[in-house]
Parts: sequence; C-alpha cells; structure tokens
Amino acid sequence: MSAEDTHSSSVEVAARVERRWAIIAVIIISGMALLAAFAGIHQATMPQPRVETTDPSRIHLSGEFVESNLGSVLEANGNVTVRAIGQQYSFTPACIVVPVDTPITLRATSADVVHGILIQGTNVNTMLVPGYISEQLMRFGKTGDYLMPCQEFCSFGHEGMWGKVKVIDKAEFANRAKSGGRLSCVGQ
Amino acid sequence: MLVNRKLILAHFWFAFAVFGVALTLGAWQMFIRSPIGTWLSNPELYYRSLTAHGTVMGYVFPTLVAMGFGYAISESALEQRLVGVRWAWTGFWLIVIGSIMAVIPIALGRASVLYTFYPPLIGNLFYYLGVVLVVVGSWIWVALMSINLRVWRKAHPGAAVPLAMYANVAGSYLWAWTAVGAALELLLQIIPVAAGLKNTIDAGLARIFFSWTLHAIVYFWLMPTYIAYYTIVPRAIGGRVYSDSMARISFILFLVVAMPIGIHHTFADPQVGAGFKFIHSAFTALVALPTLLTVFTICASVEIAARLRGGRGVFGWIRALPWDNPMMLALAFSFVMLGFGGAGGLINMSYQLDASIHNTQWITGHFHLIFGGAIVIMYFAIAYDLWPHLTGRELIDVRLIRTQLWLWFVGMIVTTFPWHWVGILGMPRRMAYFDFGDPAIAPQALSVTFSAIGGFILLTSGIMFIVILARGMRAPLAEAGAYRFAVAVHQPTTVPVALNTHALWVALMIALTITNYGYPILNLATTAGTSVPAVYVGAQ
Amino acid sequence: MSTRDLFTFGNPHFTRGVGITAAILIVTAIAGFVVLPFAQPWVQFASVWDAICSAAGVPQRAASVTAPEQAKRLSEVVLTSHTLSRPSQEAIGRGATLAQRCAICHGPTGISRADSPNLAGQYAAVIYKELHDFRSGARSNAVMSPFAVNLTEEEIADLSNYYAYLPRPSAYHPTPQLPKPNIVIYGAPLRGVAPCGACHGSLDNKTGSPWLEGQSEAYMKAQLQAFASGERRNDISQQMRNIARALTPQEIEAAAAYYASQPPDVVKAVD
Repeated sequence: MSAEDTHSSSVEVAARVERRWAIIAVIIISGMALLAAFAGIHQATMPQPRVETTDPSRIHLSGEFVESNLGSVLEANGNVTVRAIGQQYSFTPACIVVPVDTPITLRATSADVVHGILIQGTNVNTMLVPGYISEQLMRFGKTGDYLMPCQEFCSFGHEGMWGKVKVIDKAEFANRAKSGGRLSCVGQ
Repeated sequence: MLVNRKLILAHFWFAFAVFGVALTLGAWQMFIRSPIGTWLSNPELYYRSLTAHGTVMGYVFPTLVAMGFGYAISESALEQRLVGVRWAWTGFWLIVIGSIMAVIPIALGRASVLYTFYPPLIGNLFYYLGVVLVVVGSWIWVALMSINLRVWRKAHPGAAVPLAMYANVAGSYLWAWTAVGAALELLLQIIPVAAGLKNTIDAGLARIFFSWTLHAIVYFWLMPTYIAYYTIVPRAIGGRVYSDSMARISFILFLVVAMPIGIHHTFADPQVGAGFKFIHSAFTALVALPTLLTVFTICASVEIAARLRGGRGVFGWIRALPWDNPMMLALAFSFVMLGFGGAGGLINMSYQLDASIHNTQWITGHFHLIFGGAIVIMYFAIAYDLWPHLTGRELIDVRLIRTQLWLWFVGMIVTTFPWHWVGILGMPRRMAYFDFGDPAIAPQALSVTFSAIGGFILLTSGIMFIVILARGMRAPLAEAGAYRFAVAVHQPTTVPVALNTHALWVALMIALTITNYGYPILNLATTAGTSVPAVYVGAQ
Repeated sequence: MSTRDLFTFGNPHFTRGVGITAAILIVTAIAGFVVLPFAQPWVQFASVWDAICSAAGVPQRAASVTAPEQAKRLSEVVLTSHTLSRPSQEAIGRGATLAQRCAICHGPTGISRADSPNLAGQYAAVIYKELHDFRSGARSNAVMSPFAVNLTEEEIADLSNYYAYLPRPSAYHPTPQLPKPNIVIYGAPLRGVAPCGACHGSLDNKTGSPWLEGQSEAYMKAQLQAFASGERRNDISQQMRNIARALTPQEIEAAAAYYASQPPDVVKAVD
C-alpha cells in the first residue's frame, strides 16, 4: 500500500466519522425542537396567540384597563379573567386574588415603560410593553401566597416593585364574586 | 509576520483596561445587592454601575479584542502587512472617543437605562452617540478585514484562504450585519427622541430591533474563542486540526443561523406573533449544530495531540495531555463552561421552558457563564499566546497564568451556579437590593452570598491577568519567532469555492433576516398608534 | 469551479445550502403559522387566514369590554413627559396675574404659611393635573374646588407654568432637619414600596408626582392617610394608593415629618 492510499483512506475514515457525528447532532437538535413543540401544546405555556394594541397614556380613561375593571372576575363559563396594569412602580391591583384549580386568563399592560410580570414558583412570566396588551393563561394547583416581582428594569424604583398573588379556595372565591365587581386582595 | 504590533497592543490594552474597570463594578454590584452588603441609600448608583458594566462588557471590550485579534490574524495568517493601517487607527480612536463619550453621562447618572437601552426610557443623547461611535469604529475594522482578504486573494489566485482568516472575516461580516439592528433602533428611534426632535417611541418595535443585535452579538463575541479553539489550541498543545473543512462549515453555520433567531429574546413579549416566535425558536435550536460540530472536531484534534505524546486507550489518552500548558487548561475550562452554559441555553431557546426562567437571575447566570466564562477565558488564552509575539518578550509566569485561569474558572462557577438556582426560584434581575429579611425570599440569601464571593474571586483573577500582561511588557527580550496557526491533519491545497468565500453564506444570512425579521418589523413600523410617550431618566 | 458559478444550481453547496435553509423555513413556518395555532384548544380562530394573521402578529385593537361603573369620579388627565414642557413668557405672565387669587392660602410668592402646599417651583405637570382633578371633581376640597371649577384649560396651563417658573423657596426651614427614615431611603421592597425619591424628585421625577421637601407636615400626613383609606383617589390607576396602603401609620408619620424638615432648594431644578 502506497503512502497515497493510506492518506486517502484516512481521509475517508475521518469524513465518515464526521458525517456520523453530524447526523447524531442533527437528530439531537430535531428531537429538542419536537419536544419544545409538544410541551407547548400539552403543558399550556404557549405564547399569546394575538397581538393587541392600546394607548398607554389613556388606559385610565376608557377600555378594559380603567380602574373599576382591574382585578379578577368570574366569567359565565367558570373561568376567571384577571386584568392588571404595571406602572412605575406598582402593579394595580397590587394584590391579585384568584381561585385554585381554575383556568385563568391574565390580561395586562403597562401605563408607562417596559415592565414584566413574574409569579414566583410558577411558569407565569410575561413582559408588559407599553402600547401592547399581554395575555397569559395560568392555573394554580395550590392555594397560598405568591410573590409577583416586576422582572424588567423600569427605572430607579424597580427594586421596590413587588406585587402579590393570593390563591384561595374555589368556593370562597365564588362566594366573594357573587357581590359582583372586580376582586382583589388589596388591603387584606 | 506581525508588523503593526503597536496597533494590536493598543486594542488589547484598551480592551483589558476597560475590562478591569467593568469587572470591578461588577464585583461591587454583586456585593452591594447580596445579604453581606448594606442597602444602597441611592439605588440609582447601582443602575449607573450596571449600565457602565453592561456597556463596556457588551460593546467595548469584546469588540476591541475581536479587532485586535483580527488584525493579528490578518497579518500572520496571510503573511501580508496590514493594508489600511491609518484607517485601523482611526477605528481605534473612534472607539476610544465613543467609549469616553458614553461613559461620562453614565457616570453623571444621566443615562442609567442599562446597556439594553429599554425605550421608552430615554437617557442623555451623548450616551447613545458614544455607542454609535463605537459601532462605527468597529465597522472600519470589518471593511479592513474584507479588503485585506481581497488583496491577498489577488496575490494568491485560487489558493485556499487560511482557516483563521476565513473564520475571522466570517466573524466580521456577522458583526457588521448584526449591529444593524441596534443601529436602526438608535438612529431611527432613540436618538431623535434623546435629541428632542420627537417625544414618542414604539417600545415594541425597539425591542424587535434590539433582538436583531442581541443574540448574534454573542456569536460575534464567540468568534475569537472559536478561532482560538481551531487554530491556536491544537498548535499550542502539539496536535493537529482534525478537519479543516468541518471547521469552515462550523463558521459559516454561525454566519447563517446566528442572526435570524433573536426573537427568542422576546418569547414573553406581547408585540411579536406566536408564529415568528416558533420559527425563531426552531432556528435557535440549529445554532447548537456548529457548536456540537466544534466540540467533536476539537476533542478529536486534542486526542491527536495526546496520541502523538504517547497517550493510549479509549480514554487513557486524556492523561497524556499537556495539562501544565495554560492553553490546554483554558480550553478544558472553556469547554466545561460552554457545556453547562449551552445546556442552559437549550432551556432558554425552547419557547416553553423559557417561561419559567425568563428575565430571572437564571438568564444573568447563563450569559455570564457563556460570555464571561467560556468566551472570556479564551480571550485570556489568546492574549497569553500572542503576548510574546507582540512584545518580543517572554511571559515567564506560567504558574501565575495557571493560577489565574483556575481562579477565573472557579470564580465563574461559584458566581453563576447559585445564580441559575435563584433564577429557578424566581429571583428577578437588575434590582438594586432585595429584602432577604423577609421569609418569602430568605432561602435565596445563601445562594446570593455565594455568588458575591464568586464575584470577588473573579476580580482577583482579573487583576492577576492584567498584572501578568503588564509584567510581560518588562520581561527580558526574547525572539518568539513567527506567529503560526495550527495545521490540519490533511491540510487542504484547494477548497471548494463556497468554503473559500463568504458570498453565498452572507447572502443566506441576509435572506433569512428578511424572512424572519422583515414582517415583524414592517408590521409594527406601519401600524399607527403604537408609539408611546418617552420617559426621560434622571430628569429631576 | 470559479466564483462566478457560486450562485448556480450546479454548485452543490449552493443547492444544498439554499435547499436545506428553505426547507427548514417552510416546515417551521407551516408548524408555527398553521399547525400550532390550531393545536391550542383554548384559542378559537375563524379561519386558516385568521390563524396565520394572528400568528404573524397583525395587531388588533382590543375587543371592547364593558367595565363596571366607577363608584367615584377619577382623574381624567392625560400626562406625558411632554405635558407643558415648553412654557412661553406670555403664559407665565398670564399665570402671575391669575395667581393673585391663590395667594391667600399658597402665599404671595408661592410659599404657604397655612399648611397648604408650597407651589413655588413645583413641577408644572403636578399643578396642571391637580387643578384639572379639582375642576372635574376627581379630587375635592372645600376651599380648592370652588376656585378650580371656573378655570379654563388655558388658565390651568398658565397657572402651572407660572408656579413652575418661580424659584423654589430657598433656605426655608420650618423645622429642624431630621435624618432620613428607612421608608424614605429604601422603601419597603416586598411590600411593593419603592424609595419615595424614585418618583418624588430626589432620585427621579415621575411625571405628575410633586417634590415634597419643605411641604407642610400636616398636609402630607393627611394626604397619605387619605390615599391609604381610599378617600382620595385621583392618582391615576392607584399609583399612590398602592404605596400609601402598604405603609404603616408610623411610616406615614416619619415620611411626612422628614420631608417637612428638608429645605426645598436641595432638590435639583427641572431641566
């Protein structure tokens, strides 16, 4: 066997090993992408389906984010809708009350700069960008108190922007919802 | 053939000087917001420091390292004097002036908007102009890299472009294109407001523009590191590059897929459609491909070195590696950090898992591990490797160098692992202080304390790095010989045109940017009523 | 092969590169725009086209929602960073004439001796907003409301510009200076309270928030208590009620006493 043959056969071996590795890498990657899509459908943490706009400096005048409409409301189908806003440097309502084991839609927006809503110990995590409405589905499996910090820098008072979420018993929530209006746990 | 040593040294020294300052600020930030620090009576000082740290570490330091290293590659790999030396100096001084111009308003508390800008928050005009100057200075470098390669091609028609230069130019094109996103945001949106010509801004659109830059910029930072993996490490440890063409494919893959994936930074944003989020998520997965290929090729190249040194057995060769060689040490540390950081990255890119850690300390931990860890430790290695050739003096403190690398590795692990953990617990980013006295977050206190200690280990290592280089400037003279790059096992004489030029891949990069970013940008730019009033910071 | 053949289908790199990229793009686009939207049982789309438009992010105006009636009148002022940002000399002059009727309570130079707010040098947007709220009834006060009811839009702007133009009451120390209480410096993070200065001037100014140094202690305490109890509600979207409710009575007292003891001139001027 000449030197040239050894050379070309080693080139082939190298190319074959590389190809195998490349195929393994592609399989790993496609597997991950499929996993992501599957988890998205079955674990219900898909990004919001629609883009909706609003005028942040006028949200207190009309529309769904006026003060009397902020808070939790029990819908006819048994689901709950929570409407909230973020502003420098608090969430309104500052304490959100929701029932346990219930599908909840969180609709929120910002009144001034970019904020974020993160509920600790859950997968609830969304940005509040002024001019746009954020929507996220959530469901709490356990009653209790959760912290809800603003997760995006919103200027010098950012470190003081912490809200709360109180998850209560379904019956108790239904009872409180009877009197109508929007529920919150502010002042409790 | 390194002729313009002063030029390269100037880039490196300015880079490492600002790195030292930003590192000190970083360590201070870690300390002040940890349970061992006392709460700042002026939280704005924290955000000021954070803005400076991010601006320097994100825009100035890695750009200058890539530029200095790029000039060194151009001269030594092509064996050709740098064409356009005056322009190179112009670019350098633009960056120096831009950095100073940006840092002054930050230091005065007039631009505490963080390096990610976050409109509608608006800071002082000169901060943004400074950043623009830095970018413009770096674009001169991009042009020079392209011109130097062209000059070389004319002199060597049909010859294979050396791998180091091929990768270097790929990195420069990636930077040129990815910087366009932030440039559009600054020039079309932020600067008119900061200059008082307008008073509203589309915050959602600005976030999309910024995401165009924000992810691929990491791959620009990564380029010098990958070039070092392929073209310095095998030579330094006495091995060969396993495959030249695989290396080229990895670099062009970065060029093509690093760019159209940035919307994964806005998975939780309300202004981007879910369909585009999915496309960007899928393309982000693809970025793992060049990294997986690189891990394979480099491990194989290292194995060659070990076997040449008499290593035997399936894993026994690992013991035969030159572990006392700083380059070997740096590579191993870099790979470990890249492995952990990359695994974390897979969580960030996947659309769903991202929701549990988005904008928590996990993210801070992630990019410090990847950038501060895997990437910067190779910057150290590059500097150590080039220094004798730039100064004409030997770096004699090999033990000190090893200690420095060990400290950086340990410091980075101690800093970032607890960060990841508190991120999972939901600790938000960028807060000047936390009330760890409250039982709700008291369990995070210990982890945050560890992180702060890690910060000081990193600071110690950073100071050692600068001391080693400074002492290297005064060591006895020693001729280091020509600066060489690793050769492949089968060094190619000819390379297919596609792998010897960048045109096809640049075209694909631009095409994918149009398909993946075109609609989201046009959509918001043409929708009326999405601009919101600016909020000026520091306007008391 | 020469460079000229690079972009031809004869070049395998071109064919494969473009082909694979296009294939990935098409597959992910179909998955992202059609398959995934319909795979979500909790969202309804009218048609495939609707699903594609939604997934592409075509903005929609939010569906109109009928909100419950407000129990009490709330502020209807729209404040932005450019509200009254460029006052003219004439406006200030007109404001000066109008301000004569405010002098009884707010002092001839905008410095009150009667537990009313000092207005000299106050941010224009603050006076603008409060006058509007007094006029609309969102805020009420036996003395202020009748004055505000008859003001026109222009008069409100002129008064705001005039008072903002006046120099802050320098060296005006009604009480000895007190040390900063923790609630003022740090707020109370986990109760959702940011440092006062983040909005009220010493760190930054949130449009519509007044600076407080040297104001009447009794006045500030009464306002904080009114915000906390919900008696005063003209803060847009509860921005101040959220804070005041989270404060303890002791903190309210400490904050009011501290701010009253501070000389107003230490607060930097508006730029």
